Amino acid sequence: MDREPHSGRAFVRAFAPAGPNRPAVVVLCRTGNRRCLRELGAGMEEEGVPFRTGDGTGGSAVELAFAAAQASDLDVGVGMDAAGNVCVHHAKLPPDMPALTGRAADARTMGHNAARLVVGIPFKDAPVRTGQ
Amino acid sequence: MSLVVGVDIGNSTTEACAAEIGEDGRVTYLSAALGRTSGVKGTTANVPGVVEVVRGALAAAGRDPADVQAVLVNEATPVISGLAMETITETIITESTMIGHNPDTPGGVGLGVGTTVAFAELPGCAPGDAVICVAGAGVDFEDVAAGINAATARGVRVTGAVVPADDATLIANRLREPVPVVDEVTLVDRVPLGMPAAVEVAEQGRTIRTLSNSYGIATVFGLDPEQTRLIAPVARALVGNRSAVVVRTPAGDITDRRIPAGGLTLIGERAKRSVGMDAGAEEIMETLRRVQPLVDADGEPGTHVGGMLARVRDTMADLTAMPRDAVRIQDVLAVDTFVPQRVTGGLAGEFALENAVALAAMVRTSKGPMELLAARLREALGTEVLIGGVEADMALLGALTTPGTAKPVAILDLGGGSTDAAVAMEGAEVCSVHLAGAGDLVTSLIDSELGLESMELAEEIKKFPLAKAESFFHVRMEDGTVRFFDEPLPAEAFARVVVLTDAGMRPIRTRHGVEKIRQVRRSAKQRVFVTNALRALEQVAPGGDIRRIGFLVVLGGAALDFEIPDMIAEAVSGFGIVSGTGNVRGCEGPRNAVATGLVARHASASATRTAVRCG
Repeated sequence: MDREPHSGRAFVRAFAPAGPNRPAVVVLCRTGNRRCLRELGAGMEEEGVPFRTGDGTGGSAVELAFAAAQASDLDVGVGMDAAGNVCVHHAKLPPDMPALTGRAADARTMGHNAARLVVGIPFKDAPVRTGQ
Repeated sequence: MSLVVGVDIGNSTTEACAAEIGEDGRVTYLSAALGRTSGVKGTTANVPGVVEVVRGALAAAGRDPADVQAVLVNEATPVISGLAMETITETIITESTMIGHNPDTPGGVGLGVGTTVAFAELPGCAPGDAVICVAGAGVDFEDVAAGINAATARGVRVTGAVVPADDATLIANRLREPVPVVDEVTLVDRVPLGMPAAVEVAEQGRTIRTLSNSYGIATVFGLDPEQTRLIAPVARALVGNRSAVVVRTPAGDITDRRIPAGGLTLIGERAKRSVGMDAGAEEIMETLRRVQPLVDADGEPGTHVGGMLARVRDTMADLTAMPRDAVRIQDVLAVDTFVPQRVTGGLAGEFALENAVALAAMVRTSKGPMELLAARLREALGTEVLIGGVEADMALLGALTTPGTAKPVAILDLGGGSTDAAVAMEGAEVCSVHLAGAGDLVTSLIDSELGLESMELAEEIKKFPLAKAESFFHVRMEDGTVRFFDEPLPAEAFARVVVLTDAGMRPIRTRHGVEKIRQVRRSAKQRVFVTNALRALEQVAPGGDIRRIGFLVVLGGAALDFEIPDMIAEAVSGFGIVSGTGNVRGCEGPRNAVATGLVARHASASATRTAVRCG
């Protein structure tokens, strides 16, 4: 991240949603789920990790998240399905074994944890592990 | 030919050794078994544990229990040990004056000084006022940022912010003029308003410079020398943080005081001395040396140490049906330690490292209900049960089956509750000693110094090496090597320090790094085992001269530890003696010494008898 700690403007700009060529966490979800998306983004921004969003209508949260992780240069993706499930996935994990799963209500924490997966620091709260 | 089983009832494990003894006294060892000691060593509660290991050893040897001629049991005497910790300093913030914690992601960078103002009151501030904005719980980061931006636009100098949720970076990113923001302040409602305050956030990878410096605080608040002296503990408490808040309240004060921790009275054969617990471990151990040999010890009633010593005495009195005041404390070991304790009056769950002294004590009696135990064992096993020799003698005999050993030999048995040592010189009586402080004390030091509040986890940290989960598929061991896994690691282990136990990987949910945990673990072992090894050897060595011991054999559960034997070997390397972990009978490692010794003694005794009969 090419941010300058002392310059406010540059600081804000660095955290605008990343363009297609920047390494970023990829979020795939139904458009219109604005509230959940904002919370997800806030979690990642707080951790200082860039992200970009894409349209993902078909499939479960886990499938979307895996596809997102494959598309991400950082190997981390987030998926959100119509039923309000949120999933954080890593490209190197088996497709049916996501890193974390949760509900839309936990979107902020899921955002934090997607970022932490990139940064390599322990997850927030007690995440529920599925897939095993 | 006769089949015998030697049984050693230890503090925590019971061991058996099955052997066949020929007419000429020649011993053929058949098998060994190990199990948990049931109940307190040397009491009838041991029967189930003994029965289990005897059966185990016979089963391993493929022999019928009906063929056993005798079961040999050591003279097991009950040992009770106790542990207590006395915290001797404490940090109290009498008025809420500081927030010194390390949120993962504070926002902005720099130092802001101003008067604390509630977020809702920002619109009421006059242009030119220097203020620190304090947002309450439940206010969204966008609203906070918008509010601060609006105030700044009106000319109010908002120099910093304090917020309850984890959103400092989010707020700082949205400010037109970024200011330091400290977040995750759990008790934000208790931050005093209308008071001069300073907020400092350091750049990533750095720590704060102004608020961790007494003169820095004095400069910010314009303090006189007397006030600076009072605020010095605040600065000290903030050292090493990436962010901090100091609020200056009129009566604001932070004190660190020494808690009267009570005294310890050590009664020796010739002298009696008292020493305050707050004098520290070194002073206590020095006092102990001056009164040695210790006859009894007493602690001040109402203190942890007094309570612990009383408890140890009561337990022993109950077990042996001795009058309470006939039970004597035989040894104590004091160790300096520190305990992370919640700062009284802190606003974000701050912890301060307080000094403490841990004390281990032990009592041992020569009066165990051994005859009763033997009778019960006879009933349970249906064979002859013989009570054989003193434990230390048997252990020495067993230790001497280690290849490469000879008299003069010393053994060091590092157990859970006590550290025992014995020495056998050529043609002299065996001299043995039992000291307080062993594995349990190490566990409790690890638990308190890391603030784990789980003895079970502390025990695992003591026993197994550490690693850090660096991805879902690999961990980096504490020695820097990498280990890969086929199955993805659990999410709760991700990026955490883990203990690699026999049963799998266990994450340690603290902020301590591998290096810190390792250092605490090694230093606890050093402070207990190495100190006690030297203390014990000095007491049993002829003339107190460790150099006159030829061979030192380390036995007991701790001898199987992955680093303790090395530490002991290093500590005694200067004395020019051969030291190493025992390998009883050339195959049992540091285990089974007493059980083997019992069989060896029985064999030589029966050979002598046979010889006498023949002659």
